[in-house]
Amino acid sequence: MDTNQVILEVSHLEKSFGSHSVLKDIDFKVKKGDVVSVIGASGSGKSTMLRCINLLETPTKGHIYYQGKDITEPGTNVCAYREKVGMVFQNFNLFNNMNVLENCMAGQIKVAKKAKEEAEKNALHFLEKVDMAAYINAKPRQLSGGQKQRVAIARALAMEPEILLFDEPTSALDPQMVGEVLNVMRTLAKEGLTMIIVTHEMAFAKDISSHVIFMADGVIAEEGNAQQIFETPQKKETKEFLARFRQGI
Amino acid sequence: MISEMNFLERILYILQKYGTSYLKGAGTTLLIALVSTFIGCIIGFLVGIIQTIPVDKTRGKGNRDPFLKRIVLGVVNAVLKIYIEVFRGTPMIVQAVFIYYGMSQLFGIQLGMWQAAFLVVSINTGAYMAESVRGGIISVDPGQMEGAKAIGMNHVQAMTSVILPQAFRNILPQIGNNLIINIKDTSVLSVISIVDLFFVHKSVSGALYTYFESATIVMVIYLSMTLLTSKLLRLWESRMDGDENYELVDVMDIGRQLGTKDKRA
Repeated sequence: MDTNQVILEVSHLEKSFGSHSVLKDIDFKVKKGDVVSVIGASGSGKSTMLRCINLLETPTKGHIYYQGKDITEPGTNVCAYREKVGMVFQNFNLFNNMNVLENCMAGQIKVAKKAKEEAEKNALHFLEKVDMAAYINAKPRQLSGGQKQRVAIARALAMEPEILLFDEPTSALDPQMVGEVLNVMRTLAKEGLTMIIVTHEMAFAKDISSHVIFMADGVIAEEGNAQQIFETPQKKETKEFLARFRQGI
Repeated sequence: MISEMNFLERILYILQKYGTSYLKGAGTTLLIALVSTFIGCIIGFLVGIIQTIPVDKTRGKGNRDPFLKRIVLGVVNAVLKIYIEVFRGTPMIVQAVFIYYGMSQLFGIQLGMWQAAFLVVSINTGAYMAESVRGGIISVDPGQMEGAKAIGMNHVQAMTSVILPQAFRNILPQIGNNLIINIKDTSVLSVISIVDLFFVHKSVSGALYTYFESATIVMVIYLSMTLLTSKLLRLWESRMDGDENYELVDVMDIGRQLGTKDKRA
């Protein structure tokens, strides 16, 4: 394993809300081009971990290294870091006061300080990629969930991030819309974008992940490649969790 | 002679004799209400925005905010809270007297009655608007702020381009409310001798002993002003909401612009 390739390293990460400890001693590394899926029961800390990586939650203890730099140190330029580590949310969080095109341009103009023409061209490129270019004049409230999520992905891509974090991107969608979002993510994975995906879509996770992390009660209970986790899980919790999923609960 | 007229005749007589005074009074009322509501909104926005600046409350080493920022914000917020409570918690009529006479006795500043009028109504409106703005900001879905942060925006960028436009739309009805309240409540400024619509009513009815007739005229004028105001504000609201429909764009055009789409055709 070439350590130069490690783009993100989470080390002894802990997070507690008051006396309630949500994450206990999380450790893992992400290499460039990795597609890491994080699975586990609700409340196991998956989303909190992802939010800690983006610093939307401040870690209680531990370190997160992005390209070798500890971003939990005070004095880190959080905004510059977030520009490089994008996030796609369960509830899309598109800007309601802007149309689709403006949503994909705002960050490029305000944060990346791009010229308007360049930002527009770039936004259209990514909107076309998620097949939403026809809707540039629509407001978020006029779109379906699946359409909103595809725009949200285009908005994140328009910042040209090094890593993209997905926080249950299909959990708020109707079944028929899940597919369109997953297809977009599949394309991104094939193109080599580094992604960390918190998801309940097991078949999808098995299909596209280079690495799978199974979380239970705030710790990484088991990790490995997709084959290891889904076909030959070692831990009792992993087996039980997957068995419940196969039964369709 | 006026005692021999019937109700309508008396109203016509008053209008003939004092019509321009009523109109001038109404103009004064409208001027004070509009200008003070505008200044009050600016005060309210500033106060509301300052009050919603996030402060990292984690104790000890993990805190990301500098010590000085927390101290300064703490003091400023305490002062703003006192301002809001004092001016929301006392009648404007008392505030007018307090400021008009207080400024000269305490600080030796002799305010003109116009300055005092604009000052009192503005800071009174500001106190109410501050709470409306704060409410408008915190009622915007927290996901909007997270979405803005996730693409690297700082607090100021997120506020100006995402949160405040939405908060403004949320509180537009409140701004209208305040304007209407101000149109009516400037009537208390007659205590510092502002010749507004109510002052004209008091003078006219005092001179002719026609309280009911003059009150009728004044009621109609106030009501016309407030009805017109709320109508205009509704229009503004629906314009802000924009079109319910949107146009689909020809993807082929975009593709040609980018030079990517020709293959797929």
